[in-house]
Amino acid sequence: MSDQKISVAASPAASSSPGAAARHRVDPLAIIVRFQSLIGLVLVAIGGVIFSPRRHGEILFLNPDNIANIVRAVSETGIIAIGMTFVIITAGIDLSVGAVLGLSAVVTATMMISGGFGLISTILAVLAMGIVFGVVQGTISTRFRLEPFIVTLAGLQAARGLALIVSGNQYINISYGDGPGLAPPVFAVLGERLFDNTVPVATIVFIIFAALATLVLNTTRFGRYVYAVGGNERAARISGVPVSMVKISVYAITGFASALAGIVHAGQFNFGSANDGMGYELTAIAAVVIGGTSLFGGAGSMVGTVAGTIMLGALANILQLNNITPATQLLATAAIIVLAAVLQSLVRRREGLGR
Amino acid sequence: MSAPLLSVTGAVKRFGGVQALRGVDFDLKAGEIHALLGENGAGKSTLMNLLSGVHTPDEGEIRIDGKPVAFNNPREAQAAGIATIFQELDLVPSLDVAANLFLGRELMRPGGMLDVPAMRREAKQRLEAIELAIDPARLVSDLSIGQRQVVAIVKALSYASRVLIMDEPTAALTVGEVERLFDIMRKLAATGVGIVYISHRLEEVPGIADRVTVMRDGRVAGIAAPHAPQAELVRLLVGRPLDELYPERAKRAGKTLLSLKDASFRLARESAGWQPPSGITLEVREGEIVGLAGIMGAGRTELLSALYGTGLAGRWQGQVAVGGRPVKLESINAARKAGIAFVTDDRRGSGLMLRMAVGLNLVMSVIRRISPAGLMSPRRQAEAVRESFAQFDIRPKNPDIAVGALSGGNQQKVVLAKEILGSPRLLLLDEPTRGVDVGAKGEIYARLRALAAQGLGILVASSEMPELIGLCDRIVVLRQGRSVAEFIGGVDEHTVLAAANGREA
Repeated sequence: MSDQKISVAASPAASSSPGAAARHRVDPLAIIVRFQSLIGLVLVAIGGVIFSPRRHGEILFLNPDNIANIVRAVSETGIIAIGMTFVIITAGIDLSVGAVLGLSAVVTATMMISGGFGLISTILAVLAMGIVFGVVQGTISTRFRLEPFIVTLAGLQAARGLALIVSGNQYINISYGDGPGLAPPVFAVLGERLFDNTVPVATIVFIIFAALATLVLNTTRFGRYVYAVGGNERAARISGVPVSMVKISVYAITGFASALAGIVHAGQFNFGSANDGMGYELTAIAAVVIGGTSLFGGAGSMVGTVAGTIMLGALANILQLNNITPATQLLATAAIIVLAAVLQSLVRRREGLGR
Repeated sequence: MSAPLLSVTGAVKRFGGVQALRGVDFDLKAGEIHALLGENGAGKSTLMNLLSGVHTPDEGEIRIDGKPVAFNNPREAQAAGIATIFQELDLVPSLDVAANLFLGRELMRPGGMLDVPAMRREAKQRLEAIELAIDPARLVSDLSIGQRQVVAIVKALSYASRVLIMDEPTAALTVGEVERLFDIMRKLAATGVGIVYISHRLEEVPGIADRVTVMRDGRVAGIAAPHAPQAELVRLLVGRPLDELYPERAKRAGKTLLSLKDASFRLARESAGWQPPSGITLEVREGEIVGLAGIMGAGRTELLSALYGTGLAGRWQGQVAVGGRPVKLESINAARKAGIAFVTDDRRGSGLMLRMAVGLNLVMSVIRRISPAGLMSPRRQAEAVRESFAQFDIRPKNPDIAVGALSGGNQQKVVLAKEILGSPRLLLLDEPTRGVDVGAKGEIYARLRALAAQGLGILVASSEMPELIGLCDRIVVLRQGRSVAEFIGGVDEHTVLAAANGREA
């Protein structure tokens, strides 16, 4: 559900029913679900402090370098999850995001190193490519009435294939300097930290993108249309909402987000590879769902997605600090996804909407 | 006299603060078809749920053959011989008829393989027992709604065979199918099965029922013979004479808003079960409420959705004019530009975003107006919501709760208010009071009349004849997609029915 409240308190008609507020008390469970990822984030942070290894009395989990690592590590999947939130609120899904990230990283590296393109033209071209990729998927899905699951599954294969072709199945290493075959040194800033070497640049990109997306979703006509299409597509169409345009646009947004994440990826790791971003689609979907966005569409929030993303990163971090195996990390993530989904389903049943 | 097959005495049922049944007595004899009538919210579904074991009564007693019984779940009711056919048939469309009849009780060969031939043989016998020739190997999805209804009956009877409860079985059937269903019901009754036939369609009752029980507000309002005058049944149903339910008619109508002259809608592709408008002549003027009457399948819904561009693809031929100017009404955009708004008969499926807040639903058709330069204006949104709450008495008065949590009547008010916010010139309504309780009906009628008095033109399709007669200034009768007659509001019901069925009055 959108966070917007509408007041009718000023109307004379509304003041005549003092009992209404009492009878329709907000379900505490609904509040938990609405803020489940924030609550989860706080719980994970507390757990992090408690279970963190210590060195000379210092809690390693709270070490500024460690925190910077957490928010840096989640920035790429976070950017993708932001885009994915739009798609999932329309009751769609985009499985191509990780592959488009890989393609974007490869194209970024190739354009700058072998193509001799400048920084700005490379970035603009890659972002445009991501948008076009999303528009094509959205158009195929709406024009031929195909499930986005299928269309973007095909898109995943296509993007990986294109990335292999462009890269020749090689790592494209990015070397910096002036001259042909070298990337402008400023591009390396994506792997650095700003403000006294504290805040990773990748995280700043993530936060700015999240802030813009929050504004678009909550304050614009387009954002309202996104909720409407997911809430009830037929009702939206009858009310004059341009449903196909909205759907194509949300896939353009995930395409853009994946390309942005791909550029950040290339800048952080100084190479592009066709295998980059493998499995990111699932991490992103998990973050969105943990963030309280419903896969049935019509309900969800950007803040939840951001909190869900950071929570997953923080959880992985604690487990790593304690030398717990990746296998256990996967199981812990699985448990949290199920818990988040169960909470949502309970609320739906309370509202008498789900069965 | 022997005890009745099934009897209920003093049944009381509460749901939270709502008292759904306030002491109901009901009985059913073997071989009897007993019609149970009531408006939505009258308690007939609750009574049915007590009999079928879905709910248990808070007070009161259920007896079979005079012996008290208590059902904790539907299976116990089935074991006692009571079968219930709910409106949503519990059939699996992707399985064949035989597989559906034996679902959960499949016949097996030794070794755990399904014995498909045996099940098909058995299914064929059971279907033939009620003289229905359906191939048991056909998929349920390939059957007509009427045939599915019969398969559901056969399935229900194979579980339990003494009492059959049918919830609005004719709601989705064509006239021919209704007749066939009634034949089957009569045959079953002749074998001693007692049938409870739940409906809100008065006109069907004389044709099928032996006895009629009318419920209102959780009580039995009266028991009548099936041939009791309609006015008597209506009075029992509604609790007051009809004329108080409907507002006074318009004094005069204004300029012509919508005018169709011999207009037909040519489908891009033929579609079975979709009756395209073919040869419609009608007018709707400012301030006027015009009704569309016709039997199921006559093309009422199709006419409205073709006007609004939500039906199947196709194009209009003949003369279609809005406000005196010819228009091409072939898309939602075209219709909205012409000042037309549409409220479907399916508010949950295509009218509302159920999980979203009432307020967000209300402003859905005016999002453009309340988002200058693409940015949502909270002030304009709140103004729009206030306007809706002032016009329609939506309860509870809280725009922030999910619209799915509202009662049917209040949901319908939200759908109407939503379209009215868009200030249309012409409002198309399909079944505007389906699933709405009597109180909300009266409010909706009054609201529609008030809106018409301000110049709105309304074209309303309804399967409830009393509604059309009471509400409308004029009634246009459709038959097989064609407009065949026109009457002034207040006309007598039989005249309209005769025209709808193609008979002389």
